[in-house]
Amino acid sequence: MKRRDFLKQTTFASGMFFVPQFLKAFEQIPTKTFGNKKVVIIQLKGGNDGLNTVVPFRNDIYYQQRANIALQQTDLLKISDEIGLHKSLVDLQKLYDNGFLSIINNVGYPNPNLSHFRSTDIWQTASNSNEYLQNGWVGRYLDYTKANPTKAIEVDESLSLLLKGKTQNGLAVTDAKTLYNSLKEPFYKSVINANTDAHLNEHNLGYLYNTMIDAKSSAKYIFEKTKVKNASNNYPKNLFGKQLKTISQFINSGLDTQVFYAGLTGFDTHANQQNTQARLLKIYAESINTFVEDLQKNNNFDDVLILTFSEFGRRVKQNESKGTDHGTANNVFVIGKNLKKQGLYNNLPNLNDLDANGNLKHEIDFREIYATILDKWLQVDDAAILNKSFSKLKFV
Amino acid sequence: MKAKHIQHLYNRVGFGITPNELERLSNKNKREIIDEVFTNSSKTSPLKADISFLKDIKPGDLKIKEKRQELQKISRKKIQKFSISWMERILNPSEVFREKMTLFWANHFVSESRNNILFTQNYNNLLRENAFGNFRDFTKKISKDASMLGYLNNKQNRKKNPNENFARELMELFTLGQGNYTETDIKESARAFTGYSHNFRGKFLMRKRHHDENEKTFFKKTGNFNGDNIIDIILEQQQCARFISEKIYRFFVNENINKEHVAAMTAVFYKDYDIEKLMRFVLQSNWFYDDENIGTKIKSPMEFLAGIHQVIPYQFERPKQALLMQRLLGQTLLRPPNVAGWKTGRNWIDSNTMVRRLRLASILLNNAAITYSDTGDEETMLTNLTTKKLKRKTFIKTKTDWNAFEKNYKKIDNKGMISLIISSQINKGTAQMLSDNLDIPKKDFCVQLMSIPEYQLC
Repeated sequence: MKRRDFLKQTTFASGMFFVPQFLKAFEQIPTKTFGNKKVVIIQLKGGNDGLNTVVPFRNDIYYQQRANIALQQTDLLKISDEIGLHKSLVDLQKLYDNGFLSIINNVGYPNPNLSHFRSTDIWQTASNSNEYLQNGWVGRYLDYTKANPTKAIEVDESLSLLLKGKTQNGLAVTDAKTLYNSLKEPFYKSVINANTDAHLNEHNLGYLYNTMIDAKSSAKYIFEKTKVKNASNNYPKNLFGKQLKTISQFINSGLDTQVFYAGLTGFDTHANQQNTQARLLKIYAESINTFVEDLQKNNNFDDVLILTFSEFGRRVKQNESKGTDHGTANNVFVIGKNLKKQGLYNNLPNLNDLDANGNLKHEIDFREIYATILDKWLQVDDAAILNKSFSKLKFV
Repeated sequence: MKAKHIQHLYNRVGFGITPNELERLSNKNKREIIDEVFTNSSKTSPLKADISFLKDIKPGDLKIKEKRQELQKISRKKIQKFSISWMERILNPSEVFREKMTLFWANHFVSESRNNILFTQNYNNLLRENAFGNFRDFTKKISKDASMLGYLNNKQNRKKNPNENFARELMELFTLGQGNYTETDIKESARAFTGYSHNFRGKFLMRKRHHDENEKTFFKKTGNFNGDNIIDIILEQQQCARFISEKIYRFFVNENINKEHVAAMTAVFYKDYDIEKLMRFVLQSNWFYDDENIGTKIKSPMEFLAGIHQVIPYQFERPKQALLMQRLLGQTLLRPPNVAGWKTGRNWIDSNTMVRRLRLASILLNNAAITYSDTGDEETMLTNLTTKKLKRKTFIKTKTDWNAFEKNYKKIDNKGMISLIISSQINKGTAQMLSDNLDIPKKDFCVQLMSIPEYQLC
């Protein structure tokens, strides 16, 4: 049999004559909201070198420790008499100048872990460094708000721990149309529509049916809600630009999603760091700036907060390969319109006071940032979601 | 033994059963069938990677950075291949129960060696060889395994500067479970594991000058303990036998613990920590065949992929697509998410994996297209993102052995196929839909059965 003929005869092409009653109840998305604020979380994956991102150009130790890779004053975008941004961050400087950026320095956690995977887990689950949690803090936000999967979207193929809760999960979507189309075949429609009592079933089978129904209604909701709205065409033509374009399209079309997650990879610069980091930071800054402009044009920037983090920073002393090894505390960027504290949130790291491995000591626990966002921005009980109470910062 | 029970047994100790095998076994009694299951898995066939590139390596070579990086790069490629061979093994096992058990242990003694194929291979075979062995010996071997020594930083655990990572996970995840030890127990036992290391071939070494020879107090006992002594003391706690029994119960019987059943298992296991005896006890128990345990467990991605293969053998034309499948379903072999392993049961299923699972039979068996965007992993972290395609639509190309299916299911009609393929109860509406479709071609009907939510259960 030819493949084409065979395909024609397969299940989905062949007749499924069952015509079910259309059950609207399953397809409806409840609109329970806890406010209309949104958070876009961005991870610079691999461990961005924060010290070469926000640079203390009057610090002798910085130049001593980084003979080959230190950035010279002339190469920096000065934001104060002592501090300059990496020259690739022209577009980020625009946000800085407008008061849309807050740079929080020395963010980390006690007993830092230097493995990418473990440290990413720690940031995603908001756990202590010796604690293994099986759900992410955004997932627990979904649990807490009893939200639909569409409330938190990761622009990727598979769902990170960050968006997995105990009872609720977020959704991974790169392209709403694909997801929508994959369950559009008459066969699945029949399976879904033929099972009226599925939602009553507490057992695994009920869970499977409910997940299928959820997936279909989420995909349908996202697809139909977003298909008309186009995003600006100015996004850089790369994966990260594409992710932000998708997020902007989702936000600007009024989707009820409150948390988005995307990432830019490649920051693990053990060798020949300079070119790689320059290229990646440029992608980051250009994409973010386009994203903010896009949101402003659609009057949505007021309600969006953008958080950028990396699983760790890098060692103060460079290595022998013109690169840097895994480090600890790092800077975090918060971007938004009405920030309470604009510009530098706190002082740059003290390069005189390093830990036993020559790494920076943290000053702010990353969970204080989460707690602040949950409490002041999303207005939920942060301690219930983070399993512990953390002091709040003053950036929003 | 009832067909339904034989099917259940084979779903749990393997990945399903063919109609012929089912017929052959149906004349035998429970003990005979279980004996056969163990006999078939009595041998161990190690899984071999091609590590010839390491033949002439000398210890000094690894001190040269460029050389080391080059070897690591080759290793990472070989590890991908090894992951594919492991999956092929799971799909075509010579000792099926042993392979199933190996999957269990891979999610218990979780380790990973990203840059060393030799350590990866040895670790994987250690799980396979000890799958039915003695838990005491097994745990001791794991504590000295090169992959584990690296993964949980025990290599860095030295008298002067103890690293507690392994000691903590040994108790929290491998033997006792959270809350059954104190922080002091962790500190003291970490000292007993100081100086553990391995040579560049992965052979265990005790670095005497880094080992703490002083007295340690652990679970109220005091002495100059080494790691093996610590493991012996841990195994004196009945909690250890209970913890392992619970985990076995969740994997092989039911995600929801029945305390009575687990207590019975614990009593058996605590005697001598013999894994085979424990497994025989479980499979012999009447409760193993209770209705509440049949067709109620959510298949892991490997159980799902191997289950389809059991009915309709298929082969990926491009082996790398096997890795893609693993990734898209959320279980990349040799790449556990963290030391706690994969979260099982309902955690396998979110909207995305559900959609993929529902469509997988038609994708695998009909060479249908699957769309995914390649966001890459760490391997691609340093490559130029702009040169990569943003989204790919690819055909999963498989060779499907429909002849085997035709032969195996020759005597079975569509109606008969339902109970052979689906072990769970079927939702009323879906059952109706299936009965309306009984006259479609057998192949199509089979793909349909594999595309309903019920097929996710075993």
